[in-house]
Amino acid sequence: MVIQMILNGLMLGLSYALIALGLTLIFAIMNILNFAHGQMYMLGGFVVYYFYYVFGLNYFFALFMCIPTLALIGVIFEKFFFRRVLTLGRREESSMLLAMGTALLLENIALIAFGYKEQGVPPLIHGVIKIFGGYLPADRAFIILMSVLLIIGLLVFIYKTRPGRALRALAQDKEVTYLMGVDVNKITMLGFAVGAALAGLAGGLLALTFPIFSGSGTPITIKSFLMIMIGGAGVVPGAIIGGFLLGMVESFGYGLISGSMTYLIIFAMIILLLIFRPQGIMGKPWG
Amino acid sequence: MNQKNYARIVLVATLLFIYLIVLPIIFRNQRYLLNIVITASLLSCASLGVWITFSIGRINIGQGAFAGIGGYTTAILIMKAGFSFWQSFLLAGLLAALIGFLFGLVILRLKGVYFAMLTLSLTETFRLIFLNAEGLTNGGNGIMGIPRPGALSIAGITIIPNFGRSNIFFYYLSATILIIVFLAVWRLYKSRIGWIFKAIRISEDLTRSCGINIVKYRIMAYSICCFLGGIAGSLFTVFYQNIFPASFQVNDSVYFMLYCFLGGLDYLAGPILGAFVLTGAFEVLRFIQKYQEGIYACIMIALMLWLPNGLMSLNLGKVFGKRKEKELETTEADKLLKSYNPDSGRKSLKKEG
Amino acid sequence: MYFEMKDIEVNYDHIRALKGISITLEKGNIITLIGANGAGKTTTLKAITGLVKIGSGEIWFKDQRIDVLPPQKVVSLGIAMVPEGRHIYPFMSVKDNLLMGAFLRRDGQEIKKDMEMVFDYFPRLKERLRQQGGTLSGGEQQMLAIGRALMARPELLLLDEPSLGLAPNLVQRIGEAITVINEQEKLSVILVEQNAKMALKISNKGYVLETGNIVLEQESKDLIKNDHVRKFYLGG
Ligand SMILES: Nc1ncnc2c1ncn2[C@@H]1O[C@H](COP(=O)(O)OP(=O)(O)OP(=O)(O)O)[C@@H](O)[C@H]1O
Ligand SMILES: [Mg+2]
Repeated sequence: MVIQMILNGLMLGLSYALIALGLTLIFAIMNILNFAHGQMYMLGGFVVYYFYYVFGLNYFFALFMCIPTLALIGVIFEKFFFRRVLTLGRREESSMLLAMGTALLLENIALIAFGYKEQGVPPLIHGVIKIFGGYLPADRAFIILMSVLLIIGLLVFIYKTRPGRALRALAQDKEVTYLMGVDVNKITMLGFAVGAALAGLAGGLLALTFPIFSGSGTPITIKSFLMIMIGGAGVVPGAIIGGFLLGMVESFGYGLISGSMTYLIIFAMIILLLIFRPQGIMGKPWG
Repeated sequence: MNQKNYARIVLVATLLFIYLIVLPIIFRNQRYLLNIVITASLLSCASLGVWITFSIGRINIGQGAFAGIGGYTTAILIMKAGFSFWQSFLLAGLLAALIGFLFGLVILRLKGVYFAMLTLSLTETFRLIFLNAEGLTNGGNGIMGIPRPGALSIAGITIIPNFGRSNIFFYYLSATILIIVFLAVWRLYKSRIGWIFKAIRISEDLTRSCGINIVKYRIMAYSICCFLGGIAGSLFTVFYQNIFPASFQVNDSVYFMLYCFLGGLDYLAGPILGAFVLTGAFEVLRFIQKYQEGIYACIMIALMLWLPNGLMSLNLGKVFGKRKEKELETTEADKLLKSYNPDSGRKSLKKEG
Repeated sequence: MYFEMKDIEVNYDHIRALKGISITLEKGNIITLIGANGAGKTTTLKAITGLVKIGSGEIWFKDQRIDVLPPQKVVSLGIAMVPEGRHIYPFMSVKDNLLMGAFLRRDGQEIKKDMEMVFDYFPRLKERLRQQGGTLSGGEQQMLAIGRALMARPELLLLDEPSLGLAPNLVQRIGEAITVINEQEKLSVILVEQNAKMALKISNKGYVLETGNIVLEQESKDLIKNDHVRKFYLGG
């Protein structure tokens, strides 16, 4: 029983970490709370649904297609919406309402394009792995593996590459980053694209076990906010910790008590946490 | 100057005339249209609360929770404890304000996105509480068949007779409450408290350094906000005669914000204008059913791109909205605070509570 | 002329921060801008790097007009700036801070060499290579900020109050370092300073800026003797 919950928690926690990383990246760079993050996750699911199931292409190709699709949406949002509002807008509320608008927009486009119906894709790998008395469907094991690889990949990108360094620089001090010769507009766009692509990849991965439907975005958005509140907004390790914790707690909660009670307790705990650590566990501007 | 005041009085009188006389007469036999105006009035009331929290520099996406609290308080008191609507209406507002006060003690320390995210999850939390407290709330089945307001009598004298299910009566009830609320808030913002609220938004540190207990004032602002959310929720509940955990959700909280924005954050009339325009537009857009929410989303985006200061910042604002308060810089905050002379200067030495 | 600003005006919302100033610099020289708080010194440097838009005037560097270029293009021409208040990246290691300075360069080997050069000037940085920028002391942060600018291998270095908040002996060391760097790396320098004494000692030419205007412009050795300067900037 406990093993089973840990196995589920691992899968949820790691894929949630992926979602939180994308959200925190966008927040750190642009100081924007991307309300459309859940909708981007949802679109990732549909990308996989179409390429993998409807068109019958290779799953990895379908998953890969989440990257250009969502990155493109991210770039469009950044270039045509947020950049203008961030340069014009004097209140941070403006970008927040804009972000809510983009979320509503994506959700409605999805609704028109894909309808209300829940969709699913056939399993990628059949079979179940037995670990210490717990059962782990092979697809879930695959999700765990892929999430870990993607998280490592992202960390390498952020901490070891030149564009990654520019992203970190931008998050810490924008003006001086101009002075380093960084094309700030381009890097901002890159950050938004990477953040969006991460949400899409998470959606594409979890499409293997969860239903894909146009309304799945908002709950994910709320959950991703919880994750970065737990970990600390704009902090990379915080996002991983927040995502992982939320996934684990959710898994145990669903196993032991009901789903809505679980979230009630999670909310209460977060409020308690924020009383003592208003910046979240890893709270600092950027790590 | 005089001419401007004159224009303003004419405009206000015209609007009141339309609101209180023309609309009810035109719509008297069209229940559906009358309901739309009632809805807009109640939404305005809740949005005014959100506007107050904006005015102290907090982004409040949690008003739905307090509308829910008000609604459930009313429903439970009427259905399970045999209270009259009038009693429960008042208690709903007070309880919402009390809960807002208690939360405010904790969460108002947070700012910016943290406050926004937390209030957003507050809405979700209360939805779950209503869902889970089945003994009181009937869980997901909700509470139905709530009677409309009965007669109000104080000390044996009937002040408001029993109007049964008349919608016109409800129309005037909601209109009266909106006007009272608006006047009260307007009065508040004319007083020194209003100055302090604005000063808090511009700079909490500066305001504190002027010897003002900002903790007290921001909790006051938030409690008022929650009170308005509570009474709006209470009225909604008796208006629809039912309430469910899903009656007030995250999206509703977002829409309250949106109304404020659409009207214009710098104007007290902004949220009311926003609520009426959007509720009206919403009904018009209903004819293109399928794309309704999408268009709604486009409005949100377009608004932020091209009209970030809201409808009131258009010409209308010149007549109606008093002088436009520009985004105040810190230096202007200084002026603002100097122009208000704290009569109790000695307090400045005390630490905040 | 190697570097020239002609009649530069800069306006912030309502304030006219620069009211038409002209500055020239010959290759290899150090010039200094001195002036009181709010005189417009920082604004001048920001105008050069393109961080603020100029209202009118022209800026030329090596026969190219640079006031029309975005900051990253200006930087790529070989102009580096050490901003006022250091502005090192607080959550990056010293090494990553230095690498950010070399952001536009692709010559890996040369970057390594230049990093060694920075360590020659500021050995303290080498000891703290892995430490986070924000945990360095004020003096170390200033060294890092200068080192980071040098990593771009600039031809023209803009320094905004490098001695701000440093103890007198450190001010002297920074001053010496600037002289040495100027000689060894064949670097031209525009030095903005409140500490007029140090600045005038190490520079060839000085400009005195008051409320957006240049009121004095002389060889530094003459400026030191100027009554006005002695009275207002050298403390009598
Ligand atoms: N971003 C800005 N917006 C509005 N006004 C500004 C801005 N930056 C500077 N100013 C104003 O422009 C004028 C010149 O400022 P600047 O920073 O160039 O002075 P400075 O000579 O560097 O002073 P200090 O020695 O204190 O650094 C000042 O009056 C300042 O208030
Ligand atoms: Mg300066």
